[in-house]
Amino acid sequence: MLYLLLVLFPISMAASAFVLRKKSGLVIFMALGAVLAEMLIAAQIPLDNPSLFLGVTLTLNTLNRMFMLLFLAIGGFAFVGAWNLPHGESFVPIGLLLLSQVCAVLLLQNPFISTLLLALSGLTAVLVMVDLPTDTIRLVGTQAIAAALKYMVMMVIAAILMYIAFVLATIFRIGELPGRIPLSRFILALLAASFSLRLAIIPFHAWLSDLVEHAEPLVAALVITLLNMSSLLVLLVSFQTFPTLLTDNEGPLRMMRYGAMISALIGAGMALGPGSLRRTIAYLILYDCGMVFYGLSSVSSIGLAGAVFGALNQTLAVLLILVSLALVERPDGRAPGVVRRDLLRRWPVAGTGLLAGGLTLIGIPPLSGAMGRLLIYQAAVENGWPELLVLLAATVLALLALIRIANERLLGPSEDKVTPDPLMLGETELDRPAPRQLAPEPRSTAALTLILMLICLTVGLYPGPLLTTIDGAIRELAFIRAL
Amino acid sequence: MLINWLLIGVGITATVVLLFRDWRLTIPALLLNYITLALFSAEQQFIASDVDLFGGISTLVMVKMITGLAVTSILSITALTFSREYGLENLDEFGLAELRRAARTAQRQQASQPFHLNDYVMPFWAGVLALFASTSLPYVYAIAPTPAADFAWYWLVFTGVLTIATASDLLKIGLGLLLCTSGIDILYTAVVSTVKEGGLNVIPLVLLSQFHILLALAIAYLCGLLYGRLKTLELNELYKQ
Repeated sequence: MLYLLLVLFPISMAASAFVLRKKSGLVIFMALGAVLAEMLIAAQIPLDNPSLFLGVTLTLNTLNRMFMLLFLAIGGFAFVGAWNLPHGESFVPIGLLLLSQVCAVLLLQNPFISTLLLALSGLTAVLVMVDLPTDTIRLVGTQAIAAALKYMVMMVIAAILMYIAFVLATIFRIGELPGRIPLSRFILALLAASFSLRLAIIPFHAWLSDLVEHAEPLVAALVITLLNMSSLLVLLVSFQTFPTLLTDNEGPLRMMRYGAMISALIGAGMALGPGSLRRTIAYLILYDCGMVFYGLSSVSSIGLAGAVFGALNQTLAVLLILVSLALVERPDGRAPGVVRRDLLRRWPVAGTGLLAGGLTLIGIPPLSGAMGRLLIYQAAVENGWPELLVLLAATVLALLALIRIANERLLGPSEDKVTPDPLMLGETELDRPAPRQLAPEPRSTAALTLILMLICLTVGLYPGPLLTTIDGAIRELAFIRAL
Repeated sequence: MLINWLLIGVGITATVVLLFRDWRLTIPALLLNYITLALFSAEQQFIASDVDLFGGISTLVMVKMITGLAVTSILSITALTFSREYGLENLDEFGLAELRRAARTAQRQQASQPFHLNDYVMPFWAGVLALFASTSLPYVYAIAPTPAADFAWYWLVFTGVLTIATASDLLKIGLGLLLCTSGIDILYTAVVSTVKEGGLNVIPLVLLSQFHILLALAIAYLCGLLYGRLKTLELNELYKQ
């Protein structure tokens, strides 16, 4: 019953929120209430207590509960951010629908159903990408439509490949059908392609850079954090359901690792090249996706722990970066259309959030990304020093890219210093217009940014409890024991 | 030699979607594709019949037909209502001027685009390629329990992918995606129905139907948005902006 409540309650709340969507404040409060209720329910569900519903098993393990609570918290943070940051009319209802779908993905351990739910969540996300604020006088941007179309096509193709892989895995028996491409290799190739599409591994990354560049930052944050990371958990479930795919596929797994390394390296390299703030951030996220995928492809307990820790870190870092980005892009009272270089002085909290988010994403201590990155490097050492060197080179490039955007956009001198002209003959101080007062950062969003930074710092300083949970959950996976 | 007319129906209707650009042809072809595919899965007896209709068919076949009807209704209604204007009352002068300019551009483009045989050359050869692959793969890499089922799913997936690759408008991309989805639908039904342990489950089947309908809705929504914005569904206009 509780399982169904976790899935159906956000849907009913989404329907109510859609009806009331023009009353933005009320809808945000409703959504926050729903998220809190969901978190309470998720915390109370007994672990590893499977229940059968229409022939499908619903269960919640330690790892999935941790991610479910994280996703719900991320959803809650996004709704708080929506109080001040720009978003579409249906952002909150669609956000609730996405949360419901993600909860269902985490509860249903059936690969076919998970694939379809991921595909459905992708289609739901398309609606929010082209959504405009209530009573807007703007037209929807053609680039936003193009980004949504690209995302939809990529996600449907990913779902199709994944579905074919799972159908093949259902009939796969080791040693059957000799004389043709081994089925296990074919299935792994299909899975690698489909999850690369979902996790935006280069060269399947085009949707992510367009999404970050043309959609509202809050929308991009929800899509990248909720949908990408739930895909990663589905890949873990796939390995768990079909462990035979990993036993005789050393070559294809090596190729997957190489692909992930190249993706991280190219992503970081592209971030270093000239580009807008949004595009640079998108490339940094691509770099991180490559690193996480490397941990996953290493299929060792250390690598997987690193990938899961990295995924958790990515959800926090991406939300922090994109909320900060939305804050620094707000109209700031100064002349529009000028590329500002003093964003840290103008928006101190958001500027710091952007920097801290970037450092977290790259895995610089003492922030939360460091532990996951260390585990991934350790997994790389197990596979040989050249692989570690490539990953380290990617990290150095990503760090240089972050320094570049900090230098170009954040750390410049204040552009507000106005040297007062001397008083003209007969003019007094009272004749002059009042000095311009620029609006400060909205309190609730600044508080949200600070909280996210604090979480990143706390997890970075005390990673022990999380690491123990993740490590325990990884060691329980059957395919890890088999390997 | 026994001719499977339903399989030929599946093949021809998918070819129409691949070759033609006019929605008045492609959407009815998609509907016929759904119907023939549903009847094909009934004929292949992947699922035992439980409805006393047309000599006995299964509920699943009915569900697939209803899904096809829903999908094509969504797309047809969207296509029929393209000319209507929505949400213009809130737009400022700049937005309205931009819409008028887009309408003029689209009108000029339509007037200067007569029938060109060249437009059909790429889809035609793509169709030939798909036919070659779909007839050879069931023997080279058989997956489904019968060669006919293998041909059906390979053909649908290949024509779908090639429809997307050769598409020049947004609706065509959507139709290609729907064909691919039909391909995996028949593959799942054919393969998983033969597995002794587990077998077909109602939830994936329900979700597959829901996926078809949501995909159609997403395509219709994007088509409506694009047409409302540029007065055309042409992709080159979308990427020109």
